[in-house]
Amino acid sequence: MYFRRYFCSLTAAGHRRHYQRPVKQVIKSNFPETLSEIKESIFSSDFVAVSLQETGSYSAPWQKCLPIDTDETAYLKAKRAAERFQILQFSVCPFSVKASKLIANPYNFQLFPRHEVKVGMPSYSFSCQSSSLASMAQEGFDFNACIYNGISYMSRAQESAATVQTRSVLLNGGSLQSTSALSVADVIFSERIKTRVKNWINGCNNQHKTEDYLISSLRKLVERCENYGSRPSLIIDVCSERQVQLTSEALKEFVNIVLVRRPAKTGVEAVQVVLTSSEEDKNLLVKEIQDLEEEQKRLVSGFREVIDLISTSQRPVVVHNSLKDFAFIHEKFLAPLPPTTNEFSSSLLSVFPHILDVNHLMKELGLFDQMNNLSSAISYLDSRFSASIDMEVSYEEKTDCVDVHGHSVTKVCQLFVKLCSILKISLEIPEEGRTQLPALLQCSSNMFCSSDVRDPCNDDVRIWTSKSRTVSLRNLVFLWGFRRGMSAQDLKDVLCNSHDVFSEEFDVKMVDRTCAIVVFWTPGFSKSFLGIIDSGEVFSNKLGNMIFEGLKAADYETYRRVCKSDFWKPDLAECLAQATDETKVFSGAKMQQEKSVICWNNDEMINLDEL
Amino acid sequence: MRNTYMVRVLTRALQPVRSLCSAPSAADVELKNVTKANFEPALAELRRHVREADFVAIDLEMTGITSAPWREIFEFDRPDIQYLKVKDSAHKFAVVQFGVCPFRWDQHSTSFVAHPHNFYVFPRQEIAGDGSSYEFLCQTSSLEFLAKYQFDFNTCINEGISYLSRSQEEEALKCLDSIHKDEILDVSSNLRNVSDTQLVRMADILFAERMKNAVGEWRAGLLQGGSWGPESQGSLNDVNQKFQTTFFQTRPALAVNGLTSRQLKLIKLVTEKHFSDLAYVHVAGESSSRLPLIVYTDSAKDRDVLKGEVKACQRKAAEISIKSAIGFRHVIDLLSSERKLIVGHNCFLDLAHVYSKFIGPLPSTAEEFVSAVQTYFPSIVDTKVLLNSDDVLSHIMNKSSTSLSNAFNLLCLPPVAPTGTNNGSADIPRVKVDVQVDDQRFSNWNSGAKHEAGYDAFMTGCVFSEACFRLGIDFNPLAPGSILQHNEKLEKYINYLYLSWANGDIIDLKTGKCGPDTLGSAIGRRRWLAKFTFSNMILLWRLPTKLKAKDIRECFYKAFGSGSITSVHQMDETAAFVQFSRAELVSDFLELKDRLDRDNNNPMSVVHPLSRILETGCVRAATYETYKEVCLSPLSELLFADQAERLGMKGEARLVQSSVDVDGEDSHEGEGEITMPTFRELQQSSASVTTRNFQTDRIMDSLCRSAAQ
Repeated sequence: MYFRRYFCSLTAAGHRRHYQRPVKQVIKSNFPETLSEIKESIFSSDFVAVSLQETGSYSAPWQKCLPIDTDETAYLKAKRAAERFQILQFSVCPFSVKASKLIANPYNFQLFPRHEVKVGMPSYSFSCQSSSLASMAQEGFDFNACIYNGISYMSRAQESAATVQTRSVLLNGGSLQSTSALSVADVIFSERIKTRVKNWINGCNNQHKTEDYLISSLRKLVERCENYGSRPSLIIDVCSERQVQLTSEALKEFVNIVLVRRPAKTGVEAVQVVLTSSEEDKNLLVKEIQDLEEEQKRLVSGFREVIDLISTSQRPVVVHNSLKDFAFIHEKFLAPLPPTTNEFSSSLLSVFPHILDVNHLMKELGLFDQMNNLSSAISYLDSRFSASIDMEVSYEEKTDCVDVHGHSVTKVCQLFVKLCSILKISLEIPEEGRTQLPALLQCSSNMFCSSDVRDPCNDDVRIWTSKSRTVSLRNLVFLWGFRRGMSAQDLKDVLCNSHDVFSEEFDVKMVDRTCAIVVFWTPGFSKSFLGIIDSGEVFSNKLGNMIFEGLKAADYETYRRVCKSDFWKPDLAECLAQATDETKVFSGAKMQQEKSVICWNNDEMINLDEL
Repeated sequence: MRNTYMVRVLTRALQPVRSLCSAPSAADVELKNVTKANFEPALAELRRHVREADFVAIDLEMTGITSAPWREIFEFDRPDIQYLKVKDSAHKFAVVQFGVCPFRWDQHSTSFVAHPHNFYVFPRQEIAGDGSSYEFLCQTSSLEFLAKYQFDFNTCINEGISYLSRSQEEEALKCLDSIHKDEILDVSSNLRNVSDTQLVRMADILFAERMKNAVGEWRAGLLQGGSWGPESQGSLNDVNQKFQTTFFQTRPALAVNGLTSRQLKLIKLVTEKHFSDLAYVHVAGESSSRLPLIVYTDSAKDRDVLKGEVKACQRKAAEISIKSAIGFRHVIDLLSSERKLIVGHNCFLDLAHVYSKFIGPLPSTAEEFVSAVQTYFPSIVDTKVLLNSDDVLSHIMNKSSTSLSNAFNLLCLPPVAPTGTNNGSADIPRVKVDVQVDDQRFSNWNSGAKHEAGYDAFMTGCVFSEACFRLGIDFNPLAPGSILQHNEKLEKYINYLYLSWANGDIIDLKTGKCGPDTLGSAIGRRRWLAKFTFSNMILLWRLPTKLKAKDIRECFYKAFGSGSITSVHQMDETAAFVQFSRAELVSDFLELKDRLDRDNNNPMSVVHPLSRILETGCVRAATYETYKEVCLSPLSELLFADQAERLGMKGEARLVQSSVDVDGEDSHEGEGEITMPTFRELQQSSASVTTRNFQTDRIMDSLCRSAAQ
């Protein structure tokens, strides 16, 4: 494996030396050692940037997060993606800014949902978008390494549901929980155990008395003695949880023993009594067993340990696309995603108190969020603002585990620091206030915005776009059932002046190949238009023909219902048709309570030529 | 693991070197791996081999088998349910490796010659389809399984051969047609859009003006007759040197590079508005991207001619790209057109994959599916059916597993070092199989790479040839032209497949009929004893998780008397089937359950024996048809109960079509009666199979009777 990768990194380094900084690659084998390393690194830095690589992001064009989406529908789309797809690569980069220098320690974890502990966990199956895999392959992603040696994990919810190894192995002489009086049988059982252990301890202590080998091994067999490590131990069979408690109660008087629960692999439960030589020795053994348990737990939770570390450190988390990334993190490492945005953000914020979205900061700067490409965003900032940042990667280079993958996370760091310096936000945080955000960042944290309603602050930066306007959801109408291959312009031509409602200004954009959206800039027209389509009135013009041929229309509420339902089809038209068929009882009453505007932007719609 | 992997990588890396050696040892020569890079020559070679072959063995590796634990095929699954589960699997998972191994009988050496091919397949999207992405499911445990056998995922994803199914190809061509038609319409309503697009922004207006000047200068330069030398390039240099003079079909042209789509739109606008003799066109460049050009034409007529030419050219290019996207389907088309005998091992799922990936979406019923398969592959033989159905062969297998590798070891490999006991198989003559890889022939080849599709196909073919030999089929008359599948000893096994191994139902591809193994072997038939009367079955879901099948049985015995239920089958931790011994108990139970659910706190219902099952108050019960509806859904929740809930299944309070199950004799009607169509099913499928007609009549009768009552 290293053989292949060696070539790989050599060639890549030759081509793109400028952009590549060493990122530590972590797989199953070096995960335990990295864990302590990254722990130190997280706790000693001020921010943590993360970046994920998934097996896919959407199944059909309309299922992408579009400008027509409200926070709610955007969340539902992100939720669906997070439920279907899988994270294969997770990069973490703890970083700080010291004396206008970025100090970063990037790590790249290969993940694979291998069934380490229980079949079906963490994931029975997952979807792949072949284009996503192909583009990962182009970047040189090593699928073999990922599937053969990726780190598995379990979400918090799965771990508690699976109840794997939650019972402590160590019995700490807990008192009897049940208040029920001891029965005669219980007393006999306790007494018998006591005598047996007493005899056994005496036997162990008197071992200097020379004994025939045969006899000693016979005695061992009869008494069921075994060595626990280097210490002598005795095995006591029990048949119920109550007997376990009775045993531990009965053996309280013996000071130098440790009780260990034997895993009931064969169906017979047993308690193992381990004899220690002294108090110190006993403490040592207890510590040993606890460490072992910890290790076992670590194997179960796997990569989630890193998420837990980030969470307990309370460091601000910097991401590029917070809604998508945290939907994935929540689904895979915390618990299944809740049905609403509010529940999602409150659940998430209880784990990650400060989330900073680079995209959001870009918006603050007046750059719209179409700059999905990190590199182009960085080079754009470089060309426009003179804010060069020194980057120092503190991971020292080792050829065998430094690779070309996972650089997006360092780019996220870079972009974040650049944006902050342009926005005049100081990132140098005093030692004592690490969990506090700089005041200026405070206001921009935790915004899971897909489309927010702020007015553009300065127009001149928006060179790619014509002005965007907010539009009330009530003024949007979805159209479908037109001839295949019609463009937005064709539709607009047909609609223009075909009816009074189209005499004023309006816009048409395609959502996908089968569905278009019409924006009425005059309030009330959308309703009358829907009325016209519904009434089945016949016109003699082109619009009439189209209605006759099956043109359909629906309001935004129908679209919202589509997003809420479980049945997403590749074509939005089909979904909308189904949703309108199902019920027409929903009134728009609920709609008015929520934020009912989106940002209308002419250039942000899908360009079908580019699909 | 890592070591073995490294060894494999090294062997692969050294492969070309080794084949140069004069005397390669047979044991470690790899089979022919085919990827994107060597697909064309390999296909040409395969064409020759398949044409000469007597039969072709195939095998597939997929990214998964079941999309949820309850989607596994259970013994209590009716054939239509089994098909739905196979369909779901074939629809959702991807094929990553396709093994094809043509076998030819060589009379001179009296041996078979096999050409194992191992194709890496990946559903890459090569042409812009309808916008939806190509998506497939992976079952984590299947990927782990593939990883265990060192499957090379990188080769598959990077180098895998992509494909288009027949229906995808048709769709793409149709799409192309409609675009073409639109464009012809566009020409007639010429320049319609110009007035609509207004220059709103200052930057746009400036840019357009500059372009107008630049293009104008260029045109003027052309008309002056001189070659457009660098001295006149002044103004264009301002425009970032994005222009370059070339020729397009003997006309001078200006190539436009590196501008944004909006800028190109403006250039198009300017050209069409201000210059009647210039045409703005997109032509295919050297790379696949389209190159925008401004072409000088002599007249308006010449301009239209040019535009027409360009469009025809574009269409042709698009057609070519669709044709080339067919990719791996050429292999399937080859197998289909040569009409050779196809050999697989337990290959119903494989065929479903072949159909859904390379032909079209799977039909909704098994009957339609098999009849469609027959038109593409007229003769298919399944070695698993062969081994279990024939008395001689099942005697040799001696009740041991008929898994591929086991059958291969038993039948095709010489027994390992005689261990004293002579079971008589040591001196049985075997069929000789030589392997030919890239024109080298080996008589004792064993790549040993189990669960690699090419090798599995090879093993399947070996098992088949050996089985034929044991059946007493003489290969020697297999002169070119004579056909193996018409051999009378083999004929009775051809076109029979296991619908699923789990319950041994065999489907006849010729008729679409499906039933328990009737091919002759007593051993085969004895394997599956359980018989089900589906109308007596009740599906329970949202059960308490701790409940075991044993507990459920006890509760029912207490409530309805021992012997009231014949079996309990657990599907997963949330759902189970209960089979009652008598039909009327079904409705009795539903009524009782309804009553108990309604007064939950009534002391009577708390002490009722069923309360252990119903204690949560949310247990749902329904008939077998609900199970079918759940299986029909494209969703795949992990737990059955979740799936049913998401589909909005509420369960049934009482049996609506209880009268369908008539007198007790129906349930003993015999083995032939597997499907007992219920009312709903009758409504759904008007196409009833003729053999079922008498049944349907009776059911209709009983329905009428019940309506009258």
